[in-house]
Amino acid sequence: MELLQEMSELLQKGKAKKVKALVQQALDEGVDPKEILNEGLLSGMMIIGGKFKNNEVFVPEVLVAARAMNAGLSILEPKLVEVGNEPVGRAVIGTVQGDLHDIGKNLVCMMFKGAGFEVCDLGVDVSSDAFIDKAEEMHADVIGMSALLSTTMCQMQACIDRLKERGLREKYIVMIGGAPVTDDFARQIGADYYTPDAASAAETARSVVLEKKSA
Amino acid sequence: MRYTDFHISISAEEVCRLLDGHKSTLGGELAEELEEMLPEAFERLEPEAFLGVGDTEGVLYEEEAEEGQEALYVITTVGEALSGWSGELFREGDCVKAMLADAIADHCLFQMDRQLREPVLGLCRQQGLGIRRRLEAPQDAPMEIQKKALQVSGAGEGGMEITEGLMYRPVKSACQVFLLTRDRDQFFWEHDCSGCPDTSCRMRKGRPPVLEVETVDRDGLKRRRIRGHVQAGQSILETLRAWGIYLDAPCGGRGTCGKCRIRLVKGELAVTEADRSHFSEEELERGVRLACRAHPAGDCVIRLKEAREDAFYIPGSREKAGEESLERKSAEKAGRKGVAVDIGTTTVAMELADLETGERPRIYTSLNTQRQYGADVISRIQAADEGKAKEMQDCIRDVLREGLARLTDGGKEHIDRMVIGANTTMVHLLMGYPCHSLGVYPFMPCSTERIDTDGQALLGEAAEDFDVSVFPGVSAYIGGDITAGLYALDFHRKEEVSVLVDLGTNGEMAVGNKDRILAASAAAGPAFEGDNIICGTGSIPGAICGARWNGQQMELQTIGGGAPVGICGTGIIEAVYEMMEAGILDETGRLEEPWDEEGFPLDGEGKIRIFQKDIREIQLAKAAVRAGLETLLAACGVEARDVDTFYIAGGFGCQLDIEKAAGIGLLPQDCVGKARPAGNTSLEGALRYLREAGGGAAVDEIAGKVREISLSTDRNFQQLYMEYMYFGEDEE
Repeated sequence: MELLQEMSELLQKGKAKKVKALVQQALDEGVDPKEILNEGLLSGMMIIGGKFKNNEVFVPEVLVAARAMNAGLSILEPKLVEVGNEPVGRAVIGTVQGDLHDIGKNLVCMMFKGAGFEVCDLGVDVSSDAFIDKAEEMHADVIGMSALLSTTMCQMQACIDRLKERGLREKYIVMIGGAPVTDDFARQIGADYYTPDAASAAETARSVVLEKKSA
Repeated sequence: MRYTDFHISISAEEVCRLLDGHKSTLGGELAEELEEMLPEAFERLEPEAFLGVGDTEGVLYEEEAEEGQEALYVITTVGEALSGWSGELFREGDCVKAMLADAIADHCLFQMDRQLREPVLGLCRQQGLGIRRRLEAPQDAPMEIQKKALQVSGAGEGGMEITEGLMYRPVKSACQVFLLTRDRDQFFWEHDCSGCPDTSCRMRKGRPPVLEVETVDRDGLKRRRIRGHVQAGQSILETLRAWGIYLDAPCGGRGTCGKCRIRLVKGELAVTEADRSHFSEEELERGVRLACRAHPAGDCVIRLKEAREDAFYIPGSREKAGEESLERKSAEKAGRKGVAVDIGTTTVAMELADLETGERPRIYTSLNTQRQYGADVISRIQAADEGKAKEMQDCIRDVLREGLARLTDGGKEHIDRMVIGANTTMVHLLMGYPCHSLGVYPFMPCSTERIDTDGQALLGEAAEDFDVSVFPGVSAYIGGDITAGLYALDFHRKEEVSVLVDLGTNGEMAVGNKDRILAASAAAGPAFEGDNIICGTGSIPGAICGARWNGQQMELQTIGGGAPVGICGTGIIEAVYEMMEAGILDETGRLEEPWDEEGFPLDGEGKIRIFQKDIREIQLAKAAVRAGLETLLAACGVEARDVDTFYIAGGFGCQLDIEKAAGIGLLPQDCVGKARPAGNTSLEGALRYLREAGGGAAVDEIAGKVREISLSTDRNFQQLYMEYMYFGEDEE
């Protein structure tokens, strides 16, 4: 559909106001909110994410696109609730206990939304139980943990141990990230996935959640 | 110790770089958004640092741990308001501004890191310590060191917190740890981040180059060996400056004066254009370079002659050459005391005075260390424009603090008052006023009003509590030093017309009496202070200060009577006069062959010569002063012969020979016999103001009475300037 195609392109260029206006126009014309979300907004965000991974665009492009998406979502979200849209998946994301850094975590939240997730941002200094309780409450698919310091990385392990204790480990996909985190560390503590950046985190989450659901 | 004296600027370019914006086509767009954010960013920014020295027990990795090892712990923070801004914006859904806010905070934190060098060094110097290594957790030390830093630095009491994960709150805070050493000639303050695992880091610099300096004295004897890091982007001259090594650089590091000479002993320093224009192939081959142009890419060892500041002889108000510049008489009486200060572009003089008896027991003189940023006021204004205003303010504050300490016996003696006479640029730099408008047409000062403040406002919280007055000035180029001079000489009360000529770099002059005073400033250049002259030097021991032609050769007189090392202002004037008389120099200022090529040798060995270029500098300088003076006299409607007294002020180390000065046309013939050396009139004025009741009203009255004649737009001046360029008999 031409209107949604245009919306996607404007989103990639970061034209927040125009995207918002087009979302309104599409709604007024009676386009299905789900279609607006998938064809108009998320498709544009996916393209930007892909280009970012290939070094075709840089951080600023991703940011302005995400801002345009947020602008569109602000009027689309109530309609999505009305029609009972099911997100790709649900994720609880936060920075682990003892750690106050939130910039990376914020970017991950942003990219998850752009991949069609319903995201609960738990903020910083989040305890293991807080992660798990919220995940239980919102029927999440993914628990995403961020840590910036070598002294706080161990909290990721603590959360995974706590999941096991509560018998919930298999229920969730556990993803971790942050400056000192590595693939090896993820394997060592028994996390499911480590990704080096926010864009690939969202992409990985989307594909494994879709796979899990279709299985 | 808490430190908050940061001067943060936010550069769109740097912020964008932190976000990879320089690679993106959206860089410009980001810069626009950033612009909108700036006012709020500055409102939120509350930069603070905490510094403290403590032991290192239990907070070092094994290889660093050493018995009795001490460290300087430093924590910097941009404050909670700026630190949390990014998160707030994210929650509002504006991820672009949020990321910009994050980058702004980082950008501020990096600047603070740089600007801390001075207080860090200050603390080390105070304790007689050097810096052995800079550590950062967790690469170089366990994270536990952050907790120790919080305690030792006092940041904890200052309101900062640390989490169980050893992370600071506010988040945008940083911890620096400097391992200290008893060897005070070590300056390894840069962080070697080559071991950091984050190889994609935008701030990655790798191992900083190490500079090693061997200094030698005048006789070539080794004095000391100093080692440390060169900060990225800094020249060797700037590095030396930060280490407290003084290398003369009258041009302020522009590569034009050729004086900041160093020799490369080991390593590599690319030969620059400036090097080529000052040194021969053979010298370049030997490793001779200009420190101000040298940017080491790798480790290197250099050798240099250290100019000892105390070797500079600077006249106070009542001194004659050869006397001790720091006199000590018994001043233990309990009378109220004050300090008079003259801040000159080149030198600073301070004198202690008893406010009741007028006794002046001690005088202190020093170079104005701002000279590292350029010899004249214009280069200082330029340096201020380039962001060095804060450094220059610190320079002059340090000189004043040191002088106060020396005059008051380390603070044992209490002073009630301080009065400062200084030119307009010096006042701007001292008070931290923006200098930009001083340097561009129409040359407007921020203020020339009399300033009444106190010691703590002027010199920081540690200073004693005393009143401070700064002389009012007239304009950008007629400053408080001239007001002070006129006040000292009673211009505003006299019936007869007097003239004041200050033969400093700016060549200020005034003509008048109680009815009116006209003043002007002629850009004489620093030739009379020995700068700009190839073998020129300041008034230091060994400087040629007088010369006489005996028919075969020059008989020389030097300051202190030792072997000549260079030629100072009075020496140049005398030598030029004698050369003119002896026919070595013609009327147009041309040196006869073969001296026009090789220079005329003053000493027997031919080590000290006067070159054709030097003569031209003198011609420009003397023509400016003389034409300025004649223009002023004409504007006043008086002739030189009608003038009662010519007061000749200036920073000469010795008495100026008026006949010879008139002989080369610097002063009118009519002033011979009527000229009076007035010494440092700015300092004299400050001394008078210290003691005189109602001095404030009097100096304001003088400043208000003075009218400036602008020479640069005066037709008459231009004409006279050309005429007085030549040597020869005075027409009058």
